[in-house]
Amino acid sequence: MSEQSNTTTAQWDNVFEAVERCYELGWTDGLPVVPPTAARVAEFLDAAGRDGAEIVGELPERRRRITTEKVAANAVLAGCRPEYLPVVLAATAAMLAPEFNLVGPSSSMGGAATLVIVNGPVARELNINARNNLFGPGNRANATIGRALRLVLMNACAAVPGLFDRSVIGHPGKFTYCIAEADTETHWTPLHVERGFAPEQSAVTVFAAEGPRQVRSVGRPEAILYAIADVASSLGTSLSTSGSVGDPAQGIRQGETVVTIAGNSGLWRDWSKADVRDYLHARIRRSVADLKQAQVFAGPVEPGDEARFVPLVAAPEDILVVFAGGEESNMSSVIPSWGPKVGSTAVTREIR
Amino acid sequence: MHDGIHVEQAGLPSATICTDRFIPTARGMAQMWGAADYPTIFTEHPIENLTREQLRQRAEGLAAEVVAVLTGS
Repeated sequence: MSEQSNTTTAQWDNVFEAVERCYELGWTDGLPVVPPTAARVAEFLDAAGRDGAEIVGELPERRRRITTEKVAANAVLAGCRPEYLPVVLAATAAMLAPEFNLVGPSSSMGGAATLVIVNGPVARELNINARNNLFGPGNRANATIGRALRLVLMNACAAVPGLFDRSVIGHPGKFTYCIAEADTETHWTPLHVERGFAPEQSAVTVFAAEGPRQVRSVGRPEAILYAIADVASSLGTSLSTSGSVGDPAQGIRQGETVVTIAGNSGLWRDWSKADVRDYLHARIRRSVADLKQAQVFAGPVEPGDEARFVPLVAAPEDILVVFAGGEESNMSSVIPSWGPKVGSTAVTREIR
Repeated sequence: MHDGIHVEQAGLPSATICTDRFIPTARGMAQMWGAADYPTIFTEHPIENLTREQLRQRAEGLAAEVVAVLTGS
Protein backbone atom coordinates (compact mmCIF):
# COMPACT_ATOMS: atom_id res chain seq x y z
CA MET A 1 0.00 0.00 0.00
CA SER A 2 1.28 3.49 -0.77
CA GLU A 3 0.04 6.97 0.02
CA GLN A 4 -0.30 9.42 -2.87
CA SER A 5 -1.84 12.77 -1.99
CA ASN A 6 -5.07 11.85 -0.19
CA THR A 7 -5.77 8.68 -2.18
CA THR A 8 -4.99 5.27 -0.72
CA THR A 9 -4.10 2.44 -3.12
CA ALA A 10 -3.94 -1.23 -2.28
CA GLN A 11 -3.02 -4.49 -4.04
CA TRP A 12 -4.79 -7.82 -3.72
CA ASP A 13 -4.57 -11.31 -5.23
CA ASN A 14 -8.22 -12.36 -5.30
CA VAL A 15 -11.65 -10.87 -4.75
CA PHE A 16 -12.16 -12.32 -1.26
CA GLU A 17 -8.86 -10.85 -0.13
CA ALA A 18 -9.86 -7.56 -1.72
CA VAL A 19 -13.12 -7.45 0.21
CA GLU A 20 -11.25 -8.15 3.45
CA ARG A 21 -8.70 -5.44 2.65
CA CYS A 22 -11.55 -2.95 2.20
CA TYR A 23 -12.69 -3.82 5.74
CA GLU A 24 -9.16 -3.36 7.08
CA LEU A 25 -8.87 0.02 5.37
CA GLY A 26 -12.10 1.17 7.05
CA TRP A 27 -13.94 1.67 3.76
CA THR A 28 -17.16 -0.18 4.60
CA ASP A 29 -20.40 0.43 6.51
CA GLY A 30 -20.11 -3.04 8.04
CA LEU A 31 -21.42 -4.89 4.99
CA PRO A 32 -19.10 -6.24 2.26
CA VAL A 33 -18.26 -3.80 -0.54
CA VAL A 34 -17.32 -4.09 -4.20
CA PRO A 35 -13.55 -3.40 -4.48
CA PRO A 36 -13.15 0.01 -6.16
CA THR A 37 -10.54 -0.83 -8.77
CA ALA A 38 -9.10 2.06 -10.76
CA ALA A 39 -10.60 0.56 -13.94
CA ARG A 40 -14.10 0.30 -12.43
CA VAL A 41 -13.97 3.86 -11.08
CA ALA A 42 -12.87 5.10 -14.53
CA GLU A 43 -15.72 3.17 -16.12
CA PHE A 44 -18.21 4.99 -13.85
CA LEU A 45 -16.73 8.41 -14.67
CA ASP A 46 -16.75 7.63 -18.40
CA ALA A 47 -20.37 6.51 -18.27
CA ALA A 48 -21.31 9.83 -16.66
CA GLY A 49 -19.02 11.82 -18.97
CA ARG A 50 -17.39 13.49 -15.98
CA ASP A 51 -13.79 14.41 -15.19
CA GLY A 52 -12.56 12.77 -11.98
CA ALA A 53 -10.85 15.98 -10.81
CA GLU A 54 -14.05 18.04 -10.91
CA ILE A 55 -15.06 19.41 -7.49
CA VAL A 56 -18.57 18.31 -6.48
CA GLY A 57 -18.60 20.40 -3.31
CA GLU A 58 -16.69 21.32 -0.21
CA LEU A 59 -16.95 20.65 3.50
CA PRO A 60 -14.83 23.52 4.84
CA GLU A 61 -15.26 22.61 8.53
CA ARG A 62 -13.43 19.34 7.81
CA ARG A 63 -11.07 20.71 5.17
CA ARG A 64 -12.51 18.41 2.52
CA ARG A 65 -13.01 19.10 -1.19
CA ILE A 66 -15.02 16.27 -2.70
CA THR A 67 -14.12 15.27 -6.27
CA THR A 68 -16.19 13.27 -8.73
CA GLU A 69 -13.54 10.54 -8.48
CA LYS A 70 -14.15 10.16 -4.73
CA VAL A 71 -17.90 9.97 -5.29
CA ALA A 72 -17.42 7.42 -8.10
CA ALA A 73 -15.16 5.25 -5.90
CA ASN A 74 -17.82 5.17 -3.20
CA ALA A 75 -20.54 4.40 -5.76
CA VAL A 76 -18.46 1.40 -6.84
CA LEU A 77 -17.96 0.34 -3.20
CA ALA A 78 -21.73 0.55 -2.64
CA GLY A 79 -22.52 -1.77 -5.53
CA CYS A 80 -23.99 0.84 -7.88
CA ARG A 81 -24.25 0.36 -11.63
CA PRO A 82 -22.28 2.99 -13.64
CA GLU A 83 -25.46 4.72 -14.79
CA TYR A 84 -26.43 5.49 -11.17
CA LEU A 85 -23.42 7.81 -10.73
CA PRO A 86 -25.16 11.04 -11.88
CA VAL A 87 -27.78 10.56 -9.15
CA VAL A 88 -25.11 10.01 -6.49
CA LEU A 89 -23.19 13.06 -7.75
CA ALA A 90 -26.29 15.28 -7.66
CA ALA A 91 -27.20 14.03 -4.18
CA THR A 92 -23.64 14.68 -2.96
CA ALA A 93 -23.69 18.20 -4.42
CA ALA A 94 -27.05 18.85 -2.75
CA MET A 95 -25.77 17.51 0.57
CA LEU A 96 -22.75 19.86 0.34
CA ALA A 97 -24.88 22.96 -0.35
CA PRO A 98 -24.42 25.51 2.46
CA GLU A 99 -28.10 25.45 3.49
CA PHE A 100 -27.93 21.68 4.11
CA ASN A 101 -25.15 22.39 6.62
CA LEU A 102 -23.81 18.85 6.39
CA VAL A 103 -21.47 19.21 9.36
CA GLY A 104 -24.57 19.45 11.60
CA PRO A 105 -26.68 16.42 10.70
CA SER A 106 -23.65 14.24 9.92
CA SER A 107 -22.04 14.74 13.32
CA SER A 108 -24.95 15.32 15.70
CA MET A 109 -26.01 13.08 18.57
CA GLY A 110 -29.46 13.32 16.95
CA GLY A 111 -28.52 10.53 14.56
CA ALA A 112 -29.94 11.73 11.25
CA ALA A 113 -29.59 10.00 7.90
CA THR A 114 -29.72 11.69 4.50
CA LEU A 115 -33.02 10.80 2.85
CA VAL A 116 -32.71 10.91 -0.97
CA ILE A 117 -35.89 11.51 -3.00
CA VAL A 118 -35.55 11.14 -6.79
CA ASN A 119 -38.01 12.74 -9.23
CA GLY A 120 -38.33 12.88 -13.00
CA PRO A 121 -37.52 10.62 -15.96
CA VAL A 122 -34.24 9.32 -14.47
CA ALA A 123 -36.15 7.61 -11.65
CA ARG A 124 -38.00 5.49 -14.20
CA GLU A 125 -34.99 4.93 -16.48
CA LEU A 126 -32.93 3.61 -13.56
CA ASN A 127 -35.87 1.69 -12.06
CA ILE A 128 -35.65 3.52 -8.74
CA ASN A 129 -38.48 2.09 -6.69
CA ALA A 130 -41.39 4.36 -5.74
CA ARG A 131 -43.86 1.65 -4.82
CA ASN A 132 -44.06 -1.61 -2.78
CA ASN A 133 -41.45 -1.82 0.00
CA LEU A 134 -40.66 1.86 -0.45
CA PHE A 135 -38.14 1.94 2.40
CA GLY A 136 -37.54 -1.82 2.32
CA PRO A 137 -35.11 -4.14 0.57
CA GLY A 138 -35.22 -5.70 -2.88
CA ASN A 139 -34.21 -2.99 -5.36
CA ARG A 140 -30.63 -2.42 -6.45
CA ALA A 141 -30.93 1.26 -7.38
CA ASN A 142 -32.54 2.32 -4.10
CA ALA A 143 -30.25 0.14 -2.00
CA THR A 144 -26.98 1.14 -3.63
CA ILE A 145 -27.60 4.84 -4.36
CA GLY A 146 -28.54 5.45 -0.72
CA ARG A 147 -25.62 3.34 0.44
CA ALA A 148 -23.21 5.22 -1.84
CA LEU A 149 -24.22 8.50 -0.21
CA ARG A 150 -23.54 7.04 3.26
CA LEU A 151 -20.11 5.79 2.09
CA VAL A 152 -19.34 9.25 0.64
CA LEU A 153 -20.16 10.62 4.09
CA MET A 154 -17.98 8.11 5.91
CA ASN A 155 -15.04 7.85 3.49
CA ALA A 156 -14.87 11.31 1.91
CA CYS A 157 -16.53 13.58 4.48
CA ALA A 158 -14.99 12.03 7.64
CA ALA A 159 -18.39 11.17 9.18
CA VAL A 160 -16.88 8.13 10.85
CA PRO A 161 -19.11 6.58 13.55
CA GLY A 162 -17.75 7.32 17.02
CA LEU A 163 -15.29 9.89 15.69
CA PHE A 164 -17.03 12.72 13.81
CA ASP A 165 -20.43 10.99 13.66
CA ARG A 166 -21.61 11.04 17.27
CA SER A 167 -25.13 9.60 16.76
CA VAL A 168 -26.43 8.29 20.07
CA ILE A 169 -28.93 5.91 18.45
CA GLY A 170 -29.12 6.56 14.71
CA HIS A 171 -31.51 4.47 12.61
CA PRO A 172 -31.41 1.86 9.82
CA GLY A 173 -31.75 4.59 7.18
CA LYS A 174 -28.12 5.38 7.87
CA PHE A 175 -27.23 2.29 5.81
CA THR A 176 -29.36 3.40 2.86
CA TYR A 177 -32.33 5.78 2.51
CA CYS A 178 -33.31 6.39 -1.11
CA ILE A 179 -36.77 6.51 -2.71
CA ALA A 180 -38.43 7.86 -5.84
CA GLU A 181 -41.78 9.62 -6.11
CA ALA A 182 -44.37 7.82 -8.29
CA ASP A 183 -44.89 11.12 -10.06
CA THR A 184 -46.46 9.72 -13.24
CA GLU A 185 -49.09 7.83 -11.25
CA THR A 186 -50.74 10.81 -9.56
CA HIS A 187 -52.37 14.11 -10.44
CA TRP A 188 -50.25 15.72 -7.74
CA THR A 189 -47.45 18.09 -8.71
CA PRO A 190 -44.10 16.25 -8.37
CA LEU A 191 -41.86 17.36 -5.53
CA HIS A 192 -39.12 18.66 -7.85
CA VAL A 193 -41.64 20.74 -9.82
CA GLU A 194 -42.94 22.26 -6.59
CA ARG A 195 -39.30 23.13 -5.85
CA GLY A 196 -38.65 24.94 -9.13
CA PHE A 197 -37.79 22.34 -11.77
CA ALA A 198 -39.61 21.30 -14.95
CA PRO A 199 -41.45 17.95 -15.13
CA GLU A 200 -39.06 16.73 -17.86
CA GLN A 201 -36.05 17.48 -15.68
CA SER A 202 -34.76 14.93 -13.20
CA ALA A 203 -33.82 16.06 -9.74
CA VAL A 204 -32.81 14.76 -6.36
CA THR A 205 -33.90 16.16 -3.01
CA VAL A 206 -31.85 15.48 0.12
CA PHE A 207 -33.31 15.80 3.60
CA ALA A 208 -31.56 15.36 6.96
CA ALA A 209 -34.01 12.90 8.42
CA GLU A 210 -35.07 10.84 11.37
CA GLY A 211 -36.43 7.37 10.60
CA PRO A 212 -39.80 6.86 8.88
CA ARG A 213 -42.79 6.22 11.15
CA GLN A 214 -45.44 4.14 9.38
CA VAL A 215 -49.03 5.39 9.56
CA ARG A 216 -51.68 2.70 9.09
CA SER A 217 -54.79 4.84 8.80
CA VAL A 218 -56.43 3.95 5.46
CA GLY A 219 -59.91 5.53 5.54
CA ARG A 220 -61.13 8.70 3.86
CA PRO A 221 -58.58 11.46 3.19
CA GLU A 222 -59.43 13.52 6.28
CA ALA A 223 -59.08 10.46 8.51
CA ILE A 224 -55.71 9.57 7.01
CA LEU A 225 -54.44 13.13 7.41
CA TYR A 226 -55.79 13.33 10.97
CA ALA A 227 -53.68 10.28 11.86
CA ILE A 228 -50.63 11.59 9.99
CA ALA A 229 -50.89 14.89 11.88
CA ASP A 230 -51.10 13.02 15.18
CA VAL A 231 -47.96 11.00 14.41
CA ALA A 232 -46.13 14.13 13.20
CA SER A 233 -47.06 15.84 16.48
CA SER A 234 -45.27 13.28 18.67
CA LEU A 235 -43.25 14.32 21.66
CA GLY A 236 -39.63 13.26 21.40
CA THR A 237 -38.99 14.14 17.76
CA SER A 238 -36.49 16.81 16.85
CA LEU A 239 -39.39 19.16 16.04
CA SER A 240 -40.88 18.97 19.54
CA THR A 241 -37.52 19.34 21.26
CA SER A 242 -36.60 22.36 23.35
CA GLY A 243 -35.38 25.13 21.07
CA SER A 244 -31.79 26.09 21.75
CA VAL A 245 -31.69 26.80 18.02
CA GLY A 246 -34.41 27.99 15.68
CA ASP A 247 -37.05 30.64 16.34
CA PRO A 248 -36.61 31.67 20.02
CA ALA A 249 -40.18 32.97 20.14
CA GLN A 250 -41.52 29.42 19.79
CA GLY A 251 -39.43 27.77 22.51
CA ILE A 252 -39.23 24.60 20.43
CA ARG A 253 -37.12 23.78 17.41
CA GLN A 254 -39.81 23.27 14.77
CA GLY A 255 -38.51 21.99 11.42
CA GLU A 256 -39.49 20.32 8.17
CA THR A 257 -41.41 17.07 7.75
CA VAL A 258 -41.61 14.65 4.83
CA VAL A 259 -44.93 12.85 4.45
CA THR A 260 -45.17 9.92 2.02
CA ILE A 261 -48.62 8.82 0.91
CA ALA A 262 -49.08 5.48 -0.88
CA GLY A 263 -51.92 3.61 -2.54
CA ASN A 264 -54.26 4.80 -5.26
CA SER A 265 -54.01 8.48 -6.09
CA GLY A 266 -57.71 8.48 -7.02
CA LEU A 267 -58.59 8.63 -3.33
CA TRP A 268 -57.07 12.13 -3.33
CA ARG A 269 -58.78 13.39 -6.54
CA ASP A 270 -60.37 16.33 -4.69
CA TRP A 271 -57.14 17.26 -2.91
CA SER A 272 -54.01 19.04 -4.13
CA LYS A 273 -50.68 18.76 -2.35
CA ALA A 274 -51.24 22.33 -1.13
CA ASP A 275 -54.58 21.24 0.40
CA VAL A 276 -52.81 18.36 2.16
CA ARG A 277 -50.11 20.66 3.47
CA ASP A 278 -52.63 23.23 4.76
CA TYR A 279 -54.68 20.54 6.54
CA LEU A 280 -51.57 19.07 8.17
CA HIS A 281 -49.99 22.41 9.05
CA ALA A 282 -53.05 23.38 11.09
CA ARG A 283 -52.87 20.11 13.07
CA ILE A 284 -49.17 19.33 13.55
CA ARG A 285 -48.92 20.94 16.95
CA ARG A 286 -48.68 20.15 20.67
CA SER A 287 -50.29 21.66 23.74
CA VAL A 288 -48.25 23.72 26.17
CA ALA A 289 -49.42 21.30 28.89
CA ASP A 290 -47.86 18.32 27.06
CA LEU A 291 -44.66 20.23 26.32
CA LYS A 292 -44.39 21.07 30.04
CA GLN A 293 -45.08 17.47 31.08
CA ALA A 294 -42.24 16.37 28.81
CA GLN A 295 -39.98 19.12 30.24
CA VAL A 296 -39.64 20.72 26.81
CA PHE A 297 -40.99 23.89 28.42
CA ALA A 298 -40.09 24.78 32.00
CA GLY A 299 -42.57 25.23 34.81
CA PRO A 300 -45.70 23.53 36.15
CA VAL A 301 -48.81 23.01 34.03
CA GLU A 302 -51.18 25.93 34.56
CA PRO A 303 -54.88 26.42 33.83
CA GLY A 304 -55.36 26.98 30.11
CA ASP A 305 -52.16 25.16 29.04
CA GLU A 306 -54.22 22.22 27.71
CA ALA A 307 -55.88 24.54 25.20
CA ARG A 308 -52.76 26.46 24.15
CA PHE A 309 -50.99 24.89 21.18
CA VAL A 310 -47.56 25.34 19.62
CA PRO A 311 -47.11 24.50 15.89
CA LEU A 312 -44.26 22.06 15.22
CA VAL A 313 -43.81 23.20 11.60
CA ALA A 314 -43.67 26.94 10.98
CA ALA A 315 -45.33 27.02 7.53
CA PRO A 316 -47.23 24.67 5.18
CA GLU A 317 -44.23 24.78 2.81
CA ASP A 318 -42.17 23.03 5.49
CA ILE A 319 -44.19 19.86 4.85
CA LEU A 320 -42.82 17.94 1.83
CA VAL A 321 -45.56 15.67 0.45
CA VAL A 322 -44.39 12.72 -1.67
CA PHE A 323 -46.69 10.26 -3.46
CA ALA A 324 -44.88 6.96 -2.93
CA GLY A 325 -45.36 3.50 -1.46
CA GLY A 326 -47.19 0.34 -2.48
CA GLU A 327 -50.38 0.37 -4.49
CA GLU A 328 -51.91 -2.15 -2.08
CA SER A 329 -53.08 0.38 0.50
CA ASN A 330 -53.28 4.10 1.23
CA MET A 331 -50.73 3.86 4.03
CA SER A 332 -48.36 6.69 4.73
CA SER A 333 -45.25 7.63 6.65
CA VAL A 334 -43.98 10.63 8.59
CA ILE A 335 -40.30 11.60 8.58
CA PRO A 336 -39.31 14.50 10.85
CA SER A 337 -36.25 16.56 10.01
CA TRP A 338 -33.07 16.30 12.03
CA GLY A 339 -33.42 19.86 13.27
CA PRO A 340 -34.81 23.32 12.61
CA LYS A 341 -34.44 24.87 9.16
CA VAL A 342 -31.63 27.10 10.37
CA GLY A 343 -29.75 23.88 11.22
CA SER A 344 -30.41 22.08 7.93
CA THR A 345 -32.83 22.63 5.07
CA ALA A 346 -33.93 20.20 2.35
CA VAL A 347 -32.04 20.87 -0.90
CA THR A 348 -33.00 19.92 -4.48
CA ARG A 349 -30.49 19.67 -7.35
CA GLU A 350 -30.86 18.69 -11.00
CA ILE A 351 -29.46 15.31 -12.07
CA ARG A 352 -27.36 15.81 -15.21
CA MET B 1 -13.22 22.90 19.00
CA HIS B 2 -13.39 24.28 15.46
CA ASP B 3 -14.10 27.82 16.65
CA GLY B 4 -11.57 27.74 19.49
CA ILE B 5 -8.79 26.56 17.18
CA HIS B 6 -9.64 29.25 14.63
CA VAL B 7 -9.80 32.03 17.21
CA GLU B 8 -6.40 30.91 18.51
CA GLN B 9 -4.95 30.74 14.99
CA ALA B 10 -6.27 34.28 14.37
CA GLY B 11 -4.10 35.48 17.26
CA LEU B 12 -6.65 35.66 20.08
CA PRO B 13 -6.06 33.39 23.08
CA SER B 14 -8.90 30.85 23.39
CA ALA B 15 -9.88 28.15 25.86
CA THR B 16 -12.17 25.33 24.74
CA ILE B 17 -14.07 23.17 27.22
CA CYS B 18 -15.29 19.77 26.05
CA THR B 19 -16.93 16.89 27.92
CA ASP B 20 -14.86 13.73 28.27
CA ARG B 21 -17.12 11.55 26.09
CA PHE B 22 -15.88 13.62 23.14
CA ILE B 23 -12.13 13.29 23.67
CA PRO B 24 -11.44 11.35 20.42
CA THR B 25 -13.63 13.75 18.41
CA ALA B 26 -11.91 16.79 19.92
CA ARG B 27 -8.43 15.35 19.30
CA GLY B 28 -9.43 14.38 15.74
CA MET B 29 -10.68 17.91 15.03
CA ALA B 30 -7.46 19.42 16.39
CA GLN B 31 -5.35 17.12 14.20
CA MET B 32 -7.53 17.91 11.17
CA TRP B 33 -6.67 21.60 11.58
CA GLY B 34 -2.96 21.07 12.21
CA ALA B 35 -3.30 21.94 15.90
CA ALA B 36 -2.67 18.57 17.55
CA ASP B 37 -1.25 20.29 20.65
CA TYR B 38 -4.23 22.63 21.09
CA PRO B 39 -4.81 22.67 24.88
CA THR B 40 -8.39 21.45 25.35
CA ILE B 41 -9.98 21.39 28.79
CA PHE B 42 -12.04 18.29 29.47
CA THR B 43 -14.82 17.99 32.01
CA GLU B 44 -16.97 15.06 33.10
CA HIS B 45 -19.85 14.13 30.79
CA PRO B 46 -22.75 14.99 30.74
CA ILE B 47 -23.58 18.62 31.37
CA GLU B 48 -26.95 18.84 29.58
CA ASN B 49 -28.90 17.65 32.63
CA LEU B 50 -27.21 19.96 35.13
CA THR B 51 -29.20 22.69 36.86
CA ARG B 52 -28.06 26.27 36.49
CA GLU B 53 -26.44 26.11 39.95
CA GLN B 54 -24.67 22.80 39.22
CA LEU B 55 -23.38 24.23 35.95
CA ARG B 56 -22.07 27.29 37.78
CA GLN B 57 -20.22 25.04 40.26
CA ARG B 58 -18.73 23.08 37.37
CA ALA B 59 -17.56 26.29 35.68
CA GLU B 60 -16.03 27.60 38.92
CA GLY B 61 -14.09 24.34 39.25
CA LEU B 62 -12.64 24.85 35.75
CA ALA B 63 -11.90 28.58 36.04
CA ALA B 64 -8.27 28.20 37.12
CA GLU B 65 -7.59 25.86 34.20
CA VAL B 66 -9.21 28.31 31.77
CA VAL B 67 -7.02 31.14 33.08
CA ALA B 68 -3.93 28.95 32.74
CA VAL B 69 -4.74 28.10 29.11
CA LEU B 70 -5.54 31.71 28.20
CA THR B 71 -2.36 33.08 29.79
CA GLY B 72 -0.16 30.21 28.67
CA SER B 73 1.02 29.68 32.23
